[in-house]
Amino acid sequence: MTPTLTTDRLTLRPPKASDHAAYAAFFADPEASHFYGGPLLPYQAWERLSADVGHFALKGFGRFVIERDGAPVGGCGILDVAGWPGHELTWWLLPAARGQGNAQEASRAVLAWAGDALGWRQVETHFRDENLAARRLTESLGGVKQRREIFPDGHARDIYAIPTRAEVTA
Amino acid sequence: MPSEIATIQIEVPILETKRLILREPRNADWEAVRAFSMSDRSRHVGGPFNEWQAWSSLVSVAGHWAIRGYGMWTVEDKATGGVTGRIGIINHIDWPEPELGWQIFEGFEGKGLAYEAAMAARNHAQGSMGMGPLISQIAHDNTRSRRLAERMGAVIESEGEVRGTPCLIYRHPAGVA
Repeated sequence: MTPTLTTDRLTLRPPKASDHAAYAAFFADPEASHFYGGPLLPYQAWERLSADVGHFALKGFGRFVIERDGAPVGGCGILDVAGWPGHELTWWLLPAARGQGNAQEASRAVLAWAGDALGWRQVETHFRDENLAARRLTESLGGVKQRREIFPDGHARDIYAIPTRAEVTA
Repeated sequence: MPSEIATIQIEVPILETKRLILREPRNADWEAVRAFSMSDRSRHVGGPFNEWQAWSSLVSVAGHWAIRGYGMWTVEDKATGGVTGRIGIINHIDWPEPELGWQIFEGFEGKGLAYEAAMAARNHAQGSMGMGPLISQIAHDNTRSRRLAERMGAVIESEGEVRGTPCLIYRHPAGVA
């Protein structure tokens, strides 16, 4: 059993210790990590990495690291966070890896895996109103707005459902 | 459909004492971890935390085992099945070296349970895991933890600092007691 997902350009695999440099770089960038609770110090990025690793261990699914040309460029997967809604499709990308369709390509692989391996018909995602990139990506994946909630951090967000096996064309 | 479940396995040795079982972290520990992390009891480990941080602490303890091969056990009371705390070896990326640390949850103090669990964890770490002698980083005013460390035979080695907060660095005696 090889715990990886592959697409044309990307490999998605569970996170590991050596991904700390990529996590730290992402979270050190205030602009890139703005919607992810950043900027964070390296030890806080290490905690995020440990949490992502442990999520796989405790729940059997989680947020993969995206590799392109053998190097980590971001993450994409499904999280189940206590106090936050649903099984959440989530992604992050280093600035240099943005604008190339990587998030969409990784998300499609994760959605297919969620349908096939986990047996889920849909997942959810949510984002701040000003996160237009997330909204565009969600809609391109066939996401449909379900409701709006105020989250534990005090921000209201739209919550979308995304079908895991939708026959969505790019 | 063929299914390929990507996952991470952690291997956690189960330790047993007279009154306690030290076992792997589980999802089912959530309510106990949440209660501790969000209460004033966590003030000496960086708390109190919000719910997201509490959740993060549950999953990151499991991640620590996967990354380091050692970590914090969940301590279960044999008599009731209740979770009495978390004890084990902590080595975050900004730590000076691996540390024996403990979190004692509400209602489980004053019975010698922390000592019993901490000795089992230390003996395993310094015995079959071949680690140590371990340190414990304890805030100056955390008198309960200092008493526990001293009862275990640890002695103050130096002044330290955890994420900007001063602490004492205790050194445990080597080997297995």
